[in-house]
Amino acid sequence: MSTATTVLVVDDEPQIQRFLKPSLEAAGYKPVMAATGAEALRLIATRAPDVVVLDLGLPDMDGKEIISGVREWSQVPIIVLSARDREGEKIAALDLGADDYVSKPFGIGELMARIRTLLRHRSREEGETTVFESGGLVIDTLAHTVTRNGEGLRLTPKEYDVLQLLVRNAGRVLTHRQILQAVWGPANVEDTQYLRVFVGRLRQKIEADPGAPQLIVTEPGVGYRFKAMQDDGR
Amino acid sequence: MAQADSKRGERPDPDALLALVHSETRGKLKVFLGAAPGVGKTYAMLSGAKQAAREGADVVVGVVETHGRAETAALIQGIEMLPQRNVEYRGRLIQEFDIDAALKRRPKLIIVDELAHTNAPESRHPKRYQDIEELIAAGIDVWTAMNIQHLESLSDVVSTITGVSVRETVPDTVVDKADEVVVVDITPAELLQRLRDGKVYLPENARRAADNFFKPGNLTALRELALRRTADRVDDQMVVYLRQNAIEGPWPAAERILVCVGNDPLSETVVRAGGRLASGLNASWIAVHLSRFDFEETSHRALRRIDEAMRLAERLGAELARLSGRHLPDEILRFARRENVTQIVIGRSAAHWFARLRGRSLPEEIVRRASGIAVHIVTSDEPAKKRRFSFLRPRLSALAGAVPFLSVAVAVAVGMIASHFLVLPNLSMIFLTAVLFCAVGYGAGSAILAAVLSFFAYNFFFIEPIYTFTIAEPHELFALLIFLLVAVLTGGLAGRVREQSDSAARRVVATQSLYDFSRKLSAIAKLDDVLWVVVSHVAKSVNGGALVLLGHKEELDLGAALPPEDTLGPSEWAAARWSATRGEFAGWRTATLPNAQFQFRPLRTSRGILGVIGVKPGNAKEDLSAEDDRALAALIDQAAVAIERTQLVDEAAKAETAIESERLRGALLSSLSHDLRTPLSAIMGAVTSLRQLGDKMPASSRHDLLATIEEETARLSRFVSNLLDMTRLEAGAVNVKRDLVDAGDAVRNAVAHARSSFPTRPIDVAIAPDLPLVRGDATLLEQVVFNLLDNADKYVPLGSPTSVSLRTEGGKLMIAVTDHGPGIPKTELERVFEKFHRVAAGDGRPAGTGLGLSICRGLIGAMDGTIRAESPLVEGTGTRIVIELPVADARQDRLAS
Repeated sequence: MSTATTVLVVDDEPQIQRFLKPSLEAAGYKPVMAATGAEALRLIATRAPDVVVLDLGLPDMDGKEIISGVREWSQVPIIVLSARDREGEKIAALDLGADDYVSKPFGIGELMARIRTLLRHRSREEGETTVFESGGLVIDTLAHTVTRNGEGLRLTPKEYDVLQLLVRNAGRVLTHRQILQAVWGPANVEDTQYLRVFVGRLRQKIEADPGAPQLIVTEPGVGYRFKAMQDDGR
Repeated sequence: MAQADSKRGERPDPDALLALVHSETRGKLKVFLGAAPGVGKTYAMLSGAKQAAREGADVVVGVVETHGRAETAALIQGIEMLPQRNVEYRGRLIQEFDIDAALKRRPKLIIVDELAHTNAPESRHPKRYQDIEELIAAGIDVWTAMNIQHLESLSDVVSTITGVSVRETVPDTVVDKADEVVVVDITPAELLQRLRDGKVYLPENARRAADNFFKPGNLTALRELALRRTADRVDDQMVVYLRQNAIEGPWPAAERILVCVGNDPLSETVVRAGGRLASGLNASWIAVHLSRFDFEETSHRALRRIDEAMRLAERLGAELARLSGRHLPDEILRFARRENVTQIVIGRSAAHWFARLRGRSLPEEIVRRASGIAVHIVTSDEPAKKRRFSFLRPRLSALAGAVPFLSVAVAVAVGMIASHFLVLPNLSMIFLTAVLFCAVGYGAGSAILAAVLSFFAYNFFFIEPIYTFTIAEPHELFALLIFLLVAVLTGGLAGRVREQSDSAARRVVATQSLYDFSRKLSAIAKLDDVLWVVVSHVAKSVNGGALVLLGHKEELDLGAALPPEDTLGPSEWAAARWSATRGEFAGWRTATLPNAQFQFRPLRTSRGILGVIGVKPGNAKEDLSAEDDRALAALIDQAAVAIERTQLVDEAAKAETAIESERLRGALLSSLSHDLRTPLSAIMGAVTSLRQLGDKMPASSRHDLLATIEEETARLSRFVSNLLDMTRLEAGAVNVKRDLVDAGDAVRNAVAHARSSFPTRPIDVAIAPDLPLVRGDATLLEQVVFNLLDNADKYVPLGSPTSVSLRTEGGKLMIAVTDHGPGIPKTELERVFEKFHRVAAGDGRPAGTGLGLSICRGLIGAMDGTIRAESPLVEGTGTRIVIELPVADARQDRLAS
């Protein structure tokens, strides 16, 4: 890899930086460290990192401010680090434009997988894919067909829209709000109860075992995540 | 009105339907009405009950007087009898209807004979009809019986007809509201026959009266009253039915009757007459009392009479109104027109001679000007003697009685002296001065006494022949009489003015007192203080005792009492609960439990009933005067508002405390979450990195990750032990030893520990030589110093040194830990010692445990020392934590041990 992928880590805890730096290096990335929000904004502007790993609790500013600030001029993928019990904070960060989150404390493998997913999405957007395949489920966005193990599935238009949205963002979390807004429009963003019922129905059609869903995974309190495409094990 | 009615007639009248719905949730009342005793009311009632019982209805006999007659007693056979309540009254055991038992038993239908019965003292209600009202309100159907003579509005007519005065009366409204009235009727001849046959029970002592009562003429008249009354009722029911069913009715255009209530003895008769007229015409009626702006009624008796007449009117079903104005006929007629009154009832006493002098009397004036309104004038047989001399009635105090004698004596002396030197044609002016002096100073009574005295003195001392009461010249006699008339009139009027100004002053005092009360209340925030002010004010206003019971319905607690007698008798408690539950007055001089010593009134606000206020007037024999009553009502309203306000303040404070503790809990959680999770994240991240990526890392990185794990584990362990220490401190489970300790050693150990824990942090130590020992716990002291160094490390930029000094100052050992960090704001200097308080809130840096300093304070406190923070030190930065420990007296300690 000639030009190493740059990962900006924004965290004020020195001990977190201390293990992320060697790990990212070992995984072949080029880590850049920032301890404050101001420094992070400066580095995103000057170094144009490929992925940002952002802790929401910073001494000088709220991590959410950084997200909304960055999103005004950059689409760089942002992974948020947050406590498990702070769903509201996570959802707010995702709605502001963060791409994914990892709950502290986390294993390095989980973070690496998230980084890979986001980087893959970015590369795919450049060369548009029209057929997605995961666990025997094939979705052809050109032909508007969904088949499971070669068998055609009958989906309503809305079900298809939701499925396509999830699949296009496979591996990434989507908040209830983001799904509702994309499929039903801005007037319906509060109807999370309806979405739950709707996703339940969708699972009945596409999951091999709807009782233990493998494809559409619930992120408790936050939203849904479609099963990640096979890792290329980078 | 007539127009409105006919319009309303097109669809069911909502009020009528509402009344119907209301009557359906209540029990039904059936009254067996007889013209006289012995017509067979009880028999008829019991026959009906027996029939109902046979048909399977749930019938209970509450109370029935069989008067030992076998045929009546036989009727009760087979119907459940409710046990009676035994009441001891004046040494005799009497049996009373047991209302509580009836409410508990809750039959569908209960028979309660003798509607007009008066209950024994100590009963809940003084009258049986009140018991019955409660039963009906509870949804129980009641059958009862009464004779027409007991009907309130007819009692005077009955006593006129029969010559027997009726003591026990039943308000007309009770009978009017009855769902059914059954007339039990036999002809007078038949009744007399039954009497002769001994079929009518009469008590032994009533035999003679009965002979006068049971005369054919009387019986016919009574029978007519009963039948007519019932016919009126039938008419009413017809109208009600027509209205409920929206039938275009032939009912008469609504009449509305105005009854003028005065202060004379006639007013009661006027009210009764008005009531009869109203019920006869099926009309609504208003009883109005008028007072003049410029003529304040001051006589206690007159006020009492007005109140009584108004109460009677209310019992008879009138609306009440009080008006005041300058010109009474104008006011009455204006009010009458506004209220669409069609008929006015007014009384006329044999007119006041003074009023005659002035012109037409009030009734005449109204008759003259009331075009379109019928006016009924009720006259009295006896001239209003009392009224004529009413201005003489004011009681004279000893002083007001003595002053006229003195002032007349002075007038005589002045007159004597003056007539020695001057020839005065008219000495009467001097006496008039004396009369006016008495009038202005001591009121009308005093003035009139002075006028009369002057009359005699003038005659005696100055009119020929002097020193006799005889008068020689006729013109002298005439002049003297004129003098008397002028003196009495001017004296009376001047006195009247004074009385009115007194009364105005009294009202100012009352208003002032109310104002003071509300101002006092508004300044108080604590409930207990408010209650105390309330009871003291209320007690003063009734000249007796007062208490406040707070709570909801049945659960009342004594809030405050004056005098502080906290023992309320059972009937007082019952009355208080009744008042709180129903929102009505109860107890002394009310319809409920009048035997209670207190009268209870609900403390009512927009949020409901907060409790009750009990008053025990100083003079329990008399009702509260109308004036006191109004003042009391105003006080109670104010009190209710004030109590509600303090309760709201309390609730707000509680809510604030809840929010504060919520905030604390939030801070605690965020602190725990951050401080536990950060080292865990570091450890977990480092471990997973080593496992998954270790073989791709250089050796130095692997070593660094292992060091991270070690350090973070140590940090986690410190945090957990801090938490445990805090818990133990709070539970009082820390055993602080009281050894003699060399503080220098403790500080040195702590510094050594800190140097190994924070290798990057330079620590300067300055320990003075020859330090005295302190009493305490070496291990805990070391921990305190370490906590402070740990804190300094956390909050201070890397590389900046921390210094520790130890010396004695003012007989105390002083340990100071100084850093060059960002410092602590002034407002936070004390709060940093609170649990889970951190200067930088939230999840951001610096991440203190929020426990260290509060543990330090706990431990140092246990060693009798103090700990405080000083900041900023230099140019807005730097913090110094200072610990002071008392120096141990080594010699004494040695002796002691």
